[in-house]
Amino acid sequence: MILVLVGVSLLVFAMMMLLPPGQRVAAYVTNDRVSPAQMDALIAKYGLNAPAPLQYVRWVTNMLHGEFGYSITASSPVLKGFTRFFPVSVELVLFAAPLIILTGIFLGTLGAVRKDTPVDHVTRVLAIVGFSVPTFWLGLLLMMIFYGFLGIFPPGAISTDARNIVFSDAYHQYTRLVTLDAILNWRWDVFWDAFYRMVLPTLNLVVINSALIMRLMRSSMLESLGQDYMMTARAKGADRRTLFRHHARRNAMLPVITISGITFAELMGGMVITETIFDRKGIGWWMAQAALQLDVAAIMFDVLFLGTIYVVINLIVDLIYAYVDPRVRLS
Amino acid sequence: METKTDTRRLNTIHPRLRELLFTMRRFLKNPLSVIGVSLVVIFGLIALLAPVLQPPKYADPYKIPHTGFRIEPSPPSAEHPLGTMQQQYDMLYGLVWGTRSAFRIGVLVVAANLFIGIILGVLAGYFGGTVDEVIMRITDIFFAIPFLVMAMALVVAIGRGLKAVVIVLIILGWPSYTRVLRSDILVTRGKDFILAARASGASHLRIMITHVLPNALYSVIILASLNIGTTILTAAALSFLGLGSETGTADWGQIISLCRSWIVGTPGNRFAYWYTVFVPGAVISLFVLGWNLMGDAVRDVFDPRMRRR
Amino acid sequence: MARLPLADARELATNFYTFEGVVRALNGVSFVVNRGETYGLVGESGCGKSVTVRSLMRIVQAPGRIESGRIVLFFNDEARTRGIEILQRSEAYMESVRGSDISMIFQEPGAALNPVLSVLDQVGESYRFHRMEQMISETVARLEDERTAMRGGSPRRAARHLQAALLRAERAGYQRFADRVGRIDDELYRLEGRTDAEATDRKESLNRSRDRARLRGGLASVARRVPILRRYRRPLDATIRGHVVKLLRSLGIPNPENVVRRFPHELSGGMQQRIVIAIALACHPTLLVADEPTSNLDVTIQAQIVELIRELKRSTISSVLFITHDLGLVAEICDRVTVMYAGDVSETAPVRDLFRSPFHPYTQGLLASVPKAEQRDELAMIPGAVPNLIRPPKGCRFHPRCPKRMDICGEVKPPTVERTSGHWVACHLYTGGRSA
Repeated sequence: MILVLVGVSLLVFAMMMLLPPGQRVAAYVTNDRVSPAQMDALIAKYGLNAPAPLQYVRWVTNMLHGEFGYSITASSPVLKGFTRFFPVSVELVLFAAPLIILTGIFLGTLGAVRKDTPVDHVTRVLAIVGFSVPTFWLGLLLMMIFYGFLGIFPPGAISTDARNIVFSDAYHQYTRLVTLDAILNWRWDVFWDAFYRMVLPTLNLVVINSALIMRLMRSSMLESLGQDYMMTARAKGADRRTLFRHHARRNAMLPVITISGITFAELMGGMVITETIFDRKGIGWWMAQAALQLDVAAIMFDVLFLGTIYVVINLIVDLIYAYVDPRVRLS
Repeated sequence: METKTDTRRLNTIHPRLRELLFTMRRFLKNPLSVIGVSLVVIFGLIALLAPVLQPPKYADPYKIPHTGFRIEPSPPSAEHPLGTMQQQYDMLYGLVWGTRSAFRIGVLVVAANLFIGIILGVLAGYFGGTVDEVIMRITDIFFAIPFLVMAMALVVAIGRGLKAVVIVLIILGWPSYTRVLRSDILVTRGKDFILAARASGASHLRIMITHVLPNALYSVIILASLNIGTTILTAAALSFLGLGSETGTADWGQIISLCRSWIVGTPGNRFAYWYTVFVPGAVISLFVLGWNLMGDAVRDVFDPRMRRR
Repeated sequence: MARLPLADARELATNFYTFEGVVRALNGVSFVVNRGETYGLVGESGCGKSVTVRSLMRIVQAPGRIESGRIVLFFNDEARTRGIEILQRSEAYMESVRGSDISMIFQEPGAALNPVLSVLDQVGESYRFHRMEQMISETVARLEDERTAMRGGSPRRAARHLQAALLRAERAGYQRFADRVGRIDDELYRLEGRTDAEATDRKESLNRSRDRARLRGGLASVARRVPILRRYRRPLDATIRGHVVKLLRSLGIPNPENVVRRFPHELSGGMQQRIVIAIALACHPTLLVADEPTSNLDVTIQAQIVELIRELKRSTISSVLFITHDLGLVAEICDRVTVMYAGDVSETAPVRDLFRSPFHPYTQGLLASVPKAEQRDELAMIPGAVPNLIRPPKGCRFHPRCPKRMDICGEVKPPTVERTSGHWVACHLYTGGRSA
């Protein structure tokens, strides 16, 4: 696992080395006051012309000290920018991920249980279409229909009025998650304001991402239903509900657990488009800006961060899987 | 069951050919697969016939002609059957040549991915041991990296443009092929008929080529056909974000990014510019849909459980 | 020995609607299993043995469907001298019959057990489906005993009181359900013999009600779902666990307290098969259907399982319907046997008669092809192959391979005649048929 993280850092570093030293400086400095005169001194100071392995070691040590450099797009040191952008993304992920997984499971099971009926065909078509449609197009269409045409669900994470409330003195930002904080502060107007701006992005994410889970659940459920132990359960006198819920679904869920974990991890990384379209300033949006402006420090940090998240989530998924599937448990 | 005459006639055909005919018949019986193949074929024809359908106006056929510099898109008219985009780029031209561009990108990337992926997959699956470990760790690393973010970063590092997009997608895309192929190879190697081949004296290489690979390739082929769709989606996303081709190039993502500002329409008519948003996205969706349906159908057809006589 | 029928199947026809065509798996199969009898069902692979018993229990998988025929079951109840025709009954009724009156054990025990559920879960389910009232009563009685044994107002005492009360409420729900269902079943039984229009309508509406009848538990069903309140079911779980352990022990499974916590993949093949048998026997079924239970096991384990089944027949169950392709096994344990070929019943006879004087050419061929110890020459074989059941041969399905075939055999399906007492055969040789 650590090995994977090291590998990721190596790849990121290799990518960074493609750039000239002048741009790499950003990964080390702590503010943006860098005049051309100081540039050479800084390059020398951070050893940006030294052999690559030395640079790598220096860079990693720097990071382990919490120094991630300065981000031009965030106009602040990288970590500070991160704490600013991260909650916005997390909020959306926490909101959308359970919906994605539950929708996928529900519709997938439905399709399997009612195989070859109209319901099944509709869900299968839904899944294939959801899989084929570009995220940005769906997002734009949703915006066009709901915001452009109907005038509801505006973009942005929060309106200016609500923003003023949030940053006022009377308001405590406990978690920096707008909706949660709003509840904790008992400001339901702020809550509602933030909440209904999350509807469209969530819808966008759900349609696109639940497709895979839906298909996997369906095929997994069908396979489970065809197994011999289902015949035993039937011969015991089990009714349909018990057959599906208790016997078939438990077995069918196993592969879905792994995919759910991967979807969750990918969700964090794939928010770039959704956040850009819906104008939510989270880490995805940050990355889009950073790429356009060649914000080295920010990009590298984000890749490392997301890589770490992926590894951690995989670990959690493995543990969950071992808990659920008795065949995998250690004796 | 066929009648006596049918059986006799079928029996005279080479068994491989018979299997192929059977596969094709099954394939075409599924309505979704027929739709998928039709879509791909239609798009293929459009791509091939692009110079005929929309004769290029400049030396570089991928530059979209624009008649004027007015910012607002115009609705469909006789001169511009699908309307124009921002700055009066002709939509139809863009979409037609964009199809060609999409095929180029898609096929190139997937072919390269297949190539790298298969070689590494075979090495990992065949040699096992340290080679396998090393290759698997490398794929682990690639899987951990966030695809879109890394793609964005790499494109920027290398320098923007479609060439960079293709290179980046090739670099980041091969690991899934390696994984899939390796696991299929391992599964096939464990089967009894391999043991039987060894027992009758076949060498490792011969077994690999004639027995293992043909069985293991099915999943990779399915993956490839599904991947063409996702590759195009990612390439379009990158262009949409401004990291792909330059403005005015016939590239689908580019076209959609040009229409971003027009989704709210005018104060009087909310839907004023719906065509600039709807049409290019629909075209991309249909293209990807076609490949996905085909990939799905191929998977269903090759599924051993469903192959009954 | 009094021959009281237990299960009477007449002219069962079952089809499978597949991609390639309609597979006519059962072509009018009839047999009668009597009380206290071990009945064997023999035939090659694919002859329809499994389909027959699955039709008997109405658990034929899609795309299969029972087309026609009659299945009449005669159960323990003294009052029921008339049988119950089950092909017209509701699915809900069948669910109450399966596992309780008729049980089935399967060929591959490893595949027959659900890998993610423990042994306790799976065996206990049989009790939960069919014997809940009894389980609850026992639990309540035990709780009451414990309560009286305790003194004073300790919280543990109060907890038991609460648990007993909740369980009683749940039991009341089960009783209400049983009453309602019992009324429907009684009326259906009274209408059993009648075939007039009014009776048919009434039966249909009763069947629909039977399917719709749901267990309504009120407070108990709510409490069952709330995690904290679920603790009141712990004593119930303990009762069921006790029964399961006792059952496993009686089947010769060593260390049952330990085994119940295990999962199927942790057990050996023989153990797994015993678990499958435990699941089948938990509710003391009258008829046990065994679908090739020993074909996948070692010979020594096979002997154990067969002995176990014999023992069970002596003690708990009444009859066993044993499917196998092993003629030796048939000779050893069966009283009567039916030989099937390609969806047809060829011959039915008491075991001795079948082996001593087989009438049907197929049976003769089967017996001839079993290698004998003193045999010196080539092994005998039945030429040809099993037919495709989508386009089965016309007339007698065996006629293409029959050494004694006549012209009529390819035209007309032979009727079943009783050649000697209790020995039935379906062959034109015995019906006086000549060349047409």
